[in-house]
Amino acid sequence: MRKKLLTALMAGVMVLSLTACGGAATESTSPDSSSNESTESTESTDSADSEDSGSTTAPEGSIRLLNGKPEIDSQLQDLAAKYKEETGAEVVIETIGGDTNASDELKKMYQADNMPDIFVIEANQAANWDGMLADLSGEAWTEDTDYELVDSNMGTIGFPYTVEATALAYNADLLEAAGVDPASLTSPDAWKSACETLDSKKDELGITAVFGWCAEPANLGWSSGTHVFAQYLDSGLKQDDTTYIDMLNDGGKIDDARMKAFAEFVGMMNQYSDPALLIDGTYDNQVAGFASGKYVFVTQGNWINGSVTSASDYSGFKMGFAPYAFEDGYDTIIAGPPSYWTVYSDGNVDAAKAFLQWVSDDSAQDILVNEAGLISPFNDCQYAAADPFYDSIKSYMDAGKTSGWHTMLKKDGLQNETCQVFADYAKGTIADADAFVETIKKVIESYYAN
Amino acid sequence: MDYRISSYKVSTGNKPVSLACMIGGAVLLVLALIFDFMKISIPILGIELRGAFLVIGAIGIFVGLYFFPTETHHRNIINVIFLFPLLFAFAVTVIIPLILGVGYSFTDWDGIRMREVVGFANYIKMFSQPSFIWSILITVLFVVFNMILVNLVAFLLALLCTSRIKGMGFFRAAYFLPNLIGGIVLGYIWQFIFSNVVTKWTSALSGSQYSMLSDTKTAFIAIIIVYVWQYAGYIMLIYVTGLNTVPIDVLEAAAIDGASPMQTLFEIKIPMIASTFTICTFLTLTSAFKMFDVNLALTNGTGSVSDFMGSYITNGSEMLALNIYSTAVVENNYALGEAKAVLFFIILAAVSILQVRLTASKEVEL
Repeated sequence: MRKKLLTALMAGVMVLSLTACGGAATESTSPDSSSNESTESTESTDSADSEDSGSTTAPEGSIRLLNGKPEIDSQLQDLAAKYKEETGAEVVIETIGGDTNASDELKKMYQADNMPDIFVIEANQAANWDGMLADLSGEAWTEDTDYELVDSNMGTIGFPYTVEATALAYNADLLEAAGVDPASLTSPDAWKSACETLDSKKDELGITAVFGWCAEPANLGWSSGTHVFAQYLDSGLKQDDTTYIDMLNDGGKIDDARMKAFAEFVGMMNQYSDPALLIDGTYDNQVAGFASGKYVFVTQGNWINGSVTSASDYSGFKMGFAPYAFEDGYDTIIAGPPSYWTVYSDGNVDAAKAFLQWVSDDSAQDILVNEAGLISPFNDCQYAAADPFYDSIKSYMDAGKTSGWHTMLKKDGLQNETCQVFADYAKGTIADADAFVETIKKVIESYYAN
Repeated sequence: MDYRISSYKVSTGNKPVSLACMIGGAVLLVLALIFDFMKISIPILGIELRGAFLVIGAIGIFVGLYFFPTETHHRNIINVIFLFPLLFAFAVTVIIPLILGVGYSFTDWDGIRMREVVGFANYIKMFSQPSFIWSILITVLFVVFNMILVNLVAFLLALLCTSRIKGMGFFRAAYFLPNLIGGIVLGYIWQFIFSNVVTKWTSALSGSQYSMLSDTKTAFIAIIIVYVWQYAGYIMLIYVTGLNTVPIDVLEAAAIDGASPMQTLFEIKIPMIASTFTICTFLTLTSAFKMFDVNLALTNGTGSVSDFMGSYITNGSEMLALNIYSTAVVENNYALGEAKAVLFFIILAAVSILQVRLTASKEVEL
């Protein structure tokens, strides 16, 4: 009897201490996960400054921002310092990057009850956070930009902090030497003749191939599966035209005729590509080849600018973007925010709103554009980005010839399926455009069905 | 209390103090728990009161238990107290996640929250995915190939390293070295080798200008090569240890009786190290099933199969563990990933138990 009682008691105690420690462990991770930045020092000054409120919650006005772009971390720290200098309010920047992606880290933070007030999301992740994102409509900055993320249920939820563009990046000097006008590349026929011209002048221009297009799926699947595939969804369409993404998200439907034209264009890219890069290449080889003038076009976006201009054999050539004109008259490039800053509705919403408004104004844009090298999504921004692609992107933006980043709205993980189809097409195991359409249709449909 | 009497008792203590400690400790723990749930925070001198309650409460309970005056259970109590850190760690890192994981697999958990319980929907769904069935098939195939090849190579290397060749220490170290390199690093190094060096040879042989990794069948072979290369050295060490335990006198007796080297190997050495074979097959079996890092770094599961169960497979070289990971993390479907992981656990447990049962019966007792 006594033995049983004792066993029961001990079991109870153990379970109790387990749960209690579980709670404690959760708590203890919170300073830990944020300590990789200067958080600790800032937080200690916080508690010194703030009147003895007797709580660990952040003082009035202090907010945390989760950044997913490690390359602009130090500039965001400057931004936070500037904000503190101008308004006295504290912003703590926490950067996630490298091999951890921000959405995974956010899930951990949510489970640990340690959510930042502002965090980065991609458009298709908004639904996961349904009901937890503050509606930012009515803020003054929404008048200055065309790029905010609007959800039909949740309202204006995303603040655009940068514009990125993707299309076929070209080497303007090589095109000029070959006598090809990039502005004329708005039809499949124009592209074909340009490719033939460039291909025939290979030795004269010193190029290896016309295209630096890499369909390697294991490490570069994001490029073919997300960015090149994006051209099927958006090329030639207006910024807010969601025809093909809506079709896709309606059970994985594709437009056969459009896909066929797109496939023929990709077939042309396969034909005029460097075979050494096409199947087994890497991102580094691709960008390095473009920087050294081995390729006239690469299938990347303006994020390659830093790697290109800092390459040792970069000759200082001008660059720009040409559209994927797989139908006559397609003259748009994809440009817009690939990700957004959103405000956590249980966080310090007012302080976060004030901060975002400040970011859209002059002194913050100065830092973001001139120091971080971002392209501003705000119409009244007076700074020109240092980006070598800026002139080209700006000309498309001014002419209203930008298409949306709707590829970010496709079902999570689809790029890992489609990139393999691009690779097989490049390798020749998928023989022609018709087979490509048939295969990609099958793959997409079965992915959406599961 | 009388000194003479208490010295006969195993436990020294008195009941009221012990009970007070235990009850006080329990109360503090419960308070800490309540604080946690209610999000009450009371810092005193910079220390959170909740944390202090928790630690003092836990210590109180243990002190109470230790001084509980009992003769019959004192030893058990001591055992539990000393085992507690281990049991606690085991429960927190293995048992509780396992139970939670099984629970999550019946919901629509997306890593953030769950909206509803979906019963067996995830389990039904995973078996309707051709890509998942494909992953199971190639994992089984990989395990079979791997178990045979790793053990064969490792055993041959072990024979080499126990024969009296010169520079034995060097060979042992050299064969073991790949195992010290992490799988991810190894995968990226071999990816470079396969797509640059090996491609030169294969293009001369087969005329294909693309690397082994770009085709499903050859990519599968590539994974096996890398994994055998990495793992054989480790298994070799176990075989070396096994071979060294075979008594010299038995071997000498065999030699005097005129046994040839082959006979010695098959009739004496191998039966005598049967237990080593059990360990090694078990290790290779489970590790091959769980293989993740090389798979991720080398091919990331790519490769295509044009017609499998009526669909075009795009994850030709994706093993089970990687499939689970990409389902949960890349495809953002945590609940389905959990369901797959539960199946994975069941398969692994069943196969391991079966395998140990089967080979254990063949072992010879010395």
